[in-house]
Amino acid sequence: MTELLSDDAVRLGLRATDRLDAVRQTGNVLVEIGAVEPSYIDAMLQREGQISTSLGEGFAIPHGTDESRRFIRETRLAFLQFPDGVDWDDDRVVVCVGIAALGDEHVGVLARLADVLVVPEQAARLRSADRVEDVLAILQAPLKESEP
Amino acid sequence: MPTIQGSDVHKVVLACEAGMGSSVLLVSTLKKRLKGTNVDVAHTPVSRIPADADVVVCHRGLEATARNVAPDKVIVAFDMFMGDPAFDRLVEAITGGGSLEG
Repeated sequence: MTELLSDDAVRLGLRATDRLDAVRQTGNVLVEIGAVEPSYIDAMLQREGQISTSLGEGFAIPHGTDESRRFIRETRLAFLQFPDGVDWDDDRVVVCVGIAALGDEHVGVLARLADVLVVPEQAARLRSADRVEDVLAILQAPLKESEP
Repeated sequence: MPTIQGSDVHKVVLACEAGMGSSVLLVSTLKKRLKGTNVDVAHTPVSRIPADADVVVCHRGLEATARNVAPDKVIVAFDMFMGDPAFDRLVEAITGGGSLEG
């Protein structure tokens, strides 16, 4: 089985002209790794226009709409880092975690992301990571029940 | 507006548009905060809120849609994905007792 977040889906040190460009790039990575059909990108842009997917701490989770599930081939995630930051409504986003999900396979990784985001130094490590393996190590670490 | 006592809450459903992003991310956080209670926490696309949900949690921007889909259920709307006082209000009502309205 393919990893949910594989090393070829982690892209560091990117630049984006604006929020829509960042979402488009995130969609392109999902297309490149074979997770979605190109039409999914339009749904991601549409979804982003409805309610911002920015979570705070410099992270956003662009994804498609319920209707666009038909363009998803398999559940995969992408990690795109824009070190200069991208203006995102009132926020500034450095990391886009792109989501294409058919089922619940990604619950664990997103739960891990939620945990990471409440620990400022961990979130900072993801924002400034310059090695793919560091990103994977942080996001694929097993969940600990005792963590806050 | 529907009201429910915290002690009568058995299932909380996090709803987002697609049911694959924010609702998934928030499920584990809320589950942890409700650990030790018998409350079930699930996530769903807003268009498919299950009949057995007692409380629906969603972003403010989806509140109207959620009310349309589930007019009889208490809807807790939040503005921020992380650290929104709406989550505290929900957890407080369930663990400490009290009523939820919305």
